[in-house]
Amino acid sequence: MTDISPTTTSPLGMAPEELDGLASKLEVRFSADFTSRWSDLEFEELALHAFNVQFQHNPVYRRFCEGKNAVPTSVTSWQQVPMVPTTAFRYLDLVTGDHSSVRMVFRTSGTTSTTLSPGRHLVSRPSLYHASLLSNFREHLLPDAEKIKFISLIPSPAEMPHSSLSYMVGVAADTMSSEVQWFVDGEGVLNSAGLIKTLNDAALAGEEVLLLGTAFAFVHWLDELAGRELRRLPPGSRIMETGGFKARARDITKEQLYKSLSMTVGLETNRIVNEYGMTELLSQLYESHLTQPNELQEGHAPPPWLRVRALNPTTLEPVAENETGILAFFDLANLGSVCHVLTEDIGQVIDGRIHLEGRFPGAEPRGCSRAMDELMTSSQVTRR
Amino acid sequence: MTQDIFEAWAIPSSVVVPGATSDSAVAPELSIRSLSIESRWLNELTDILVEGSGRLKNRKARELARILGTVGSRFLKEGDPLRTKALELLPQASGLSVQMARVVLDGMAADWAEDRLLGLLENEFGTSEGLDGFVKQDGCRTMAIGADLCVQIVSGSVPGVGVTALIRSLLTKAPTLLKPGRGDVVLPVLFMQALAVVDQDLADHVAILYWSGGSSDLERGVLDRASVVTTYGGDESVESIRALTPVTKRFVAYHHRISVGVIGSQALTSGLVEQTARDVAYATAVFDQRGCVSPRSIYVESGGDTTPQAFAEYLASALESIENDLPGGHLELEEAAALHQVRGAAELLAVSGSPGGIYHGEKASWTVIFDPDSELRSDHVGRVVRVESIENLSDLIKRLRPEKEHIQSVGVAGMGTDLDEFAEELGRIGVSRIAKFSGLPFPPSRWHHDGGSPLRDLVHWVDLEEVGG
Repeated sequence: MTDISPTTTSPLGMAPEELDGLASKLEVRFSADFTSRWSDLEFEELALHAFNVQFQHNPVYRRFCEGKNAVPTSVTSWQQVPMVPTTAFRYLDLVTGDHSSVRMVFRTSGTTSTTLSPGRHLVSRPSLYHASLLSNFREHLLPDAEKIKFISLIPSPAEMPHSSLSYMVGVAADTMSSEVQWFVDGEGVLNSAGLIKTLNDAALAGEEVLLLGTAFAFVHWLDELAGRELRRLPPGSRIMETGGFKARARDITKEQLYKSLSMTVGLETNRIVNEYGMTELLSQLYESHLTQPNELQEGHAPPPWLRVRALNPTTLEPVAENETGILAFFDLANLGSVCHVLTEDIGQVIDGRIHLEGRFPGAEPRGCSRAMDELMTSSQVTRR
Repeated sequence: MTQDIFEAWAIPSSVVVPGATSDSAVAPELSIRSLSIESRWLNELTDILVEGSGRLKNRKARELARILGTVGSRFLKEGDPLRTKALELLPQASGLSVQMARVVLDGMAADWAEDRLLGLLENEFGTSEGLDGFVKQDGCRTMAIGADLCVQIVSGSVPGVGVTALIRSLLTKAPTLLKPGRGDVVLPVLFMQALAVVDQDLADHVAILYWSGGSSDLERGVLDRASVVTTYGGDESVESIRALTPVTKRFVAYHHRISVGVIGSQALTSGLVEQTARDVAYATAVFDQRGCVSPRSIYVESGGDTTPQAFAEYLASALESIENDLPGGHLELEEAAALHQVRGAAELLAVSGSPGGIYHGEKASWTVIFDPDSELRSDHVGRVVRVESIENLSDLIKRLRPEKEHIQSVGVAGMGTDLDEFAEELGRIGVSRIAKFSGLPFPPSRWHHDGGSPLRDLVHWVDLEEVGG
């Protein structure tokens, strides 16, 4: 496997003009106003264009599509574009375009509990990824402030160079933080004393903060605090939490965690925003409490360049809005790999938003939460 | 649509049923109703079971085998209301197809008949009298004593496992608290209902209760009161029960296990290969690959009349044919999601130039992955089976070694004369059973389950030495 760290630059390969052209166009669109939703027609046109490019410049994907008789001349809507299962990212480097143009490799969390190879996502165009993650991050976490102090329980990208989550927070911090402090290192060790002091200082100074962490980092921290409450953070502060709730260390529901977290730092639970993401998708989905504080909007909202469907488990046809299905995403930010991705996650899609029903307990953990949990559990053992 | 409700418990007649219950739909037309259990009530119930232990110990093991066998064989008798009820409920409660429910019930219940139970006692103890009093053994006298309370926690989903577990501990005269697996609540409860009719006293020594998920508060109380604990399930569930079990208890763990198959060239001749493929397809189909006895990977010797890849194709067509007689069961949403992952990844691998292939049904869930690189793994997603090519048998041992802690049975065909040596080698890496494919799904009742003894593991011996006047 090629081992290119995101900080390593490799000479730019010859990218097909068509691919470059579409990438630049998308980059501009992603960075523009985060309007509520693109029209179906607009999305369709870009999605089919992306499929065409991927079909031309991703030979493995092309043969996969040909095997299904799905070729650009026969595919007339994005829903018909063949889906690649997330599992395939474990076994194949799904690159659209020249492999030599790959600039970064993200890995799904390789965990100690599995013999499976980790999934990997090879990224050729960091600028396209940045455009996607930055405008989405701002829309859902900083709609009201230019910059804010970042306090992170997610390890820094320097500590975890192959984590897409660390990378995302790092890039967001570069442009949106007044200051960033990292309180979990690459070994999963939490600097609890430093975290408490920083939060208390911010509270005393009346400085708003963005606290970021995986569900399990928060659980470990709260366990350490054992009910102790800190000074109330200014009400404009906010928390980004990411990750599933199928705890290994101990079972906890999302409601319990949010309640406990909100008591600890003195913020309303509606200041906590859950982020849903995975290494295989370069776009993220967020809850929109901060963007639409007065509307009761449950579920996770996709950015305009991503569409999601819940599919029937037998036919893989879309299910009705109130039915649960397997989630499939068409993410234009995945232009450099494959846009149409079938996951193992299940949930409902209501009015374009996803309502997750928990990640399959037997499924390999994606994202970082479970791996971080294991990391932190083991580091706690060794620290004693 | 009307919902039938199945009350998923059996408790001693002297125990008052707590008022509250909760229903959980397991199929469109069936809900499982469970008691809402509190620790205090459960602890009182287990105390009652422990107190009754002395009464149960006074009964003769042979007599218990006769009564349990009488009830058990009713599940085999065509037209018996007990069998009819079981066959009606099993497809919905366990997700098996109607035809498969019949095969599974026939296979499991065969071991619940009186002659099998007597055979089991004899096989384990030499004579059943060793459970009834002291018997002479090498100049000393010894007696096998069953638990005051045997707690059995099953988290698997294969129907019938709960009844087999229950029968085993009752044969050792141990009052038993059984928590069946989610897909296996029907048979133990029906068994107890029938037992109560013929022998209420014996039925009063048993409680069957289902609660969902791990509830450590409930479990801790019963584990404290048990003297023998058996658990069946995935490594994580077994681990969590083990962690809650006090060190002084005997702990019998049936953790995550899988089985595999190996086919030597003698079963790959043009005259035999189709039958071989049919036998493998049957072993794959019976529990929809959910059983510990289900063969997840088939290792095919290369250099025979049929190549490993060609065998994968024979297996694919055998699985397609078996779909008519023994259709696959219902896949849960998460299982279906996992199946699409496996299939899609295998298709992509195949077109990426990796020398493999994938064969699968249309709507049917059967899937054969021919994967010479042994990369793609799948667990618990219906009838998914991998075919791999091996050079020779030592190659096989090498391949199996990384998973040796989890391999239980090895199905074999066409191995020739060096079977003993091969079996010993497999035994050394931890395999506990070698069988022909047609027998793979249903081991005989006397089998060394995961290498242990089904009854002897549940008792302790007391030796009475010559002490003089």
